[in-house]
Amino acid sequence: MSLTIPVLLAAKAACEPVRMTDWHNLLGVIWDFLSLSLFSLGGGNTLLAEYHSIAVHKYCWITSDQFADIYAFAEAAPGPSSMIVGLLGMGAAWREGPLWALLSGIAAETAILLPSTLVMVVASLSWSRFKDSPWRMAFERGMGPITLGILFAVGLKILQTADHTPLAYGVSVLVCFLMLRTKISPLWFMGVAGVLGGLGWISRY
Amino acid sequence: MSGQNTSEQPLAPAPSLRELFFGMLQVAISSFGGGLSAWSERIVVEQRRWMSDEEFLTGLTVARLFPGPNQINMAVYIGASFRGLAGALVALAGILLVPFSFLMLLGLAYFYLHEVESVGAVLSGVVAAAAGMALSMGFKIAGQYVRDPVAVVFAAAVFLALNNFHQRLIPVILVSGPLAMAWYWPRRGKRELQP
Repeated sequence: MSLTIPVLLAAKAACEPVRMTDWHNLLGVIWDFLSLSLFSLGGGNTLLAEYHSIAVHKYCWITSDQFADIYAFAEAAPGPSSMIVGLLGMGAAWREGPLWALLSGIAAETAILLPSTLVMVVASLSWSRFKDSPWRMAFERGMGPITLGILFAVGLKILQTADHTPLAYGVSVLVCFLMLRTKISPLWFMGVAGVLGGLGWISRY
Repeated sequence: MSGQNTSEQPLAPAPSLRELFFGMLQVAISSFGGGLSAWSERIVVEQRRWMSDEEFLTGLTVARLFPGPNQINMAVYIGASFRGLAGALVALAGILLVPFSFLMLLGLAYFYLHEVESVGAVLSGVVAAAAGMALSMGFKIAGQYVRDPVAVVFAAAVFLALNNFHQRLIPVILVSGPLAMAWYWPRRGKRELQP
């Protein structure tokens, strides 16, 4: 305890937000997302903890609280939740104005989708050739347990990012339980929790 | 090849780039409110008859297997199987245009408004619910692995490496991936295990 607190403070103080108009940094950011693209197992949510570490700790684009907000938008909005990368890109360049933020959001989303899309095109066109290959079977069976381990780590990371009070943890665990046991649309859970938050019943700290 | 599947309605001719774009746009718009996967099948297989059910299911298998968001990969598969790379990019644009624009607008609104106190109060509830969704992801697929002790060991090792030893994702996958693939490499004796 006595050790971790000063370390955390030091890390926070040392973190300087990166300016996205600096080409060198912009290319670095694009490279980060390009290189993560092919490691998105199990539909993309496996990358969430990595996004948090890039956006909050490595480049200091947004705070941890903002990351939790952005994650909630990506889950609530229609379409795949991996579009969160567009919002991270937007947060990265927000200081440079909304136009840069928009461009940066599009660049980040393009970077995360491009490599996996190209691989997917090749896979679609040559699927008949390797669908019975031992590589495919080993990959399919082997990546399952790894995805499982990553998803638990990601879930815990998001939980620690979003929740700071016992009540908030309680809400999360309840929603988790309802997600597994019912077919109610998660939009309802977020809606009800949003109302409770607005009424001041759930607060962040 | 002619005369096959006489009992079913014939498939439509291969869609043009334009049709691919609007078809995927329709999938994206129909699925506002959820159920992207179900809408995709309804429109591509039932309404537009671009693919048979079987071809569609093959596509889903490929989309889940390869890196990238499943529904986006599915659009890429559909586009690529008819029109190659151009088809894939057009389908991708079709499925992303509306939801991504919507999310960008939401993002702009958020970055303008997030310091407003009432917005923050509502969000403090919403993020707790969203975190519950994140927590459920692992449990959702855990059932199929609990009977395989090796799978549990792999999952636990990956979890500990990421969560307790703070390793980065890419090296963890690069080390655990080949090990798991070697273990699950199909052998004659294990052939009959279900996929």
